[in-house]
Amino acid sequence: MRLKGYLSKMRGSVHGSPPRVSLPEVLWSWTGAFLGIAAVAWLNQWFFAGTDLTLAIGSLGASAVLVFGAVRSPLAQPRNLIGGHVLSALVGVTCWQWLGGEPWLAQSLAVATAIALMHLTRTLHPPGGATALIAVIGSDQVHAMGYLFVLLPATLGPLVLLAVALLFNNLPAARRYPEFWL
Amino acid sequence: MTQSPHDDPSEPTSEEDDLAEIELTDDDILEAMREIPGYLDITTMDFRAVYHLAHRHALDRLFSGITAGRLMRREVRPLTPDIPLAEAIPSFVRQGLKSLPVVDGQRRVIGILTETDVLGGLGAETFLALMARVIADAKCIKSEQHHRPVGELMTAPVVSVPLHAGLREILAAFASHPGRAMPVLTTDGRLAGLLPRKVFLNACHPDRRP
Repeated sequence: MRLKGYLSKMRGSVHGSPPRVSLPEVLWSWTGAFLGIAAVAWLNQWFFAGTDLTLAIGSLGASAVLVFGAVRSPLAQPRNLIGGHVLSALVGVTCWQWLGGEPWLAQSLAVATAIALMHLTRTLHPPGGATALIAVIGSDQVHAMGYLFVLLPATLGPLVLLAVALLFNNLPAARRYPEFWL
Repeated sequence: MTQSPHDDPSEPTSEEDDLAEIELTDDDILEAMREIPGYLDITTMDFRAVYHLAHRHALDRLFSGITAGRLMRREVRPLTPDIPLAEAIPSFVRQGLKSLPVVDGQRRVIGILTETDVLGGLGAETFLALMARVIADAKCIKSEQHHRPVGELMTAPVVSVPLHAGLREILAAFASHPGRAMPVLTTDGRLAGLLPRKVFLNACHPDRRP
């Protein structure tokens, strides 16, 4: 590889950053994310507090960015939202159970494999990488759930976000969700 | 004896691509993105790349009906290199054409005889130059020219296109030479028909397309 060409790639292409969205748009994103995470957190608080289960995982915050902040993005569509989390959780739990003794390997393998699997299944959803990592890093509560982690936070959590996104993102005239289902 | 207009017809950066496509600047794209509410998860680079390729596909779709084989005149009667000019000229007039392919015994195209070639043989650059000479001296066309064979005067090698040539290939071929018509060849190099520039242009005209 020619070094000069390689380094010049790092300069980026002129000015590619998309423009800032309008203030109403900011407000819609804020409200949608507030409602989406509120729904997840509320359900978690009322049904899972004090149990060995959890519904709220950090990667749902990242999903909210996409689903309410970049509504049109292919990464934010239902196929990706649900598929990305479920597949990544499967990969993450498997990596933890097989390679938990080598945390660094389990963690890196989980995220890398999750990305590859999401690519192959056209379900790329960046928060999925976080879900895979969370399954390995844990908390002890997460580790104790085993493959239930796939079902409970990793399927139900995104489903709640999806429901809120469907109801909310179709209210503003300038928004619609989803662009596609499958 | 025929030459292909360019080596690789799939070459993406040929001139004819730019004919209808406007190069979009970053500012054009960013301005358009501002007009669409909501965050668009795409860079200007990506947008330009998608636009460029989609434009090519749209052109291919719009002009997919244009192939040399469908537009060419099949009924053309070619010349042979040995027939004299005096016989070739009436053949132009009968067929209403200003250029005729020249073929060998196996109907392989070896050249094309154009009006310009004929005029050149008669020592005139253009038809009007010939007229000027005829007006000045009625006997200026010397009769020995009448016996010169077509093979001596024809343009060779000739630019031709295959039967399946589409818009891009035909356009590039016409752009590469001044001729008003091109022989259309079968895959084994034999004459299939003649494609006049006028017919091709009419087929490309958006208002005259079926």
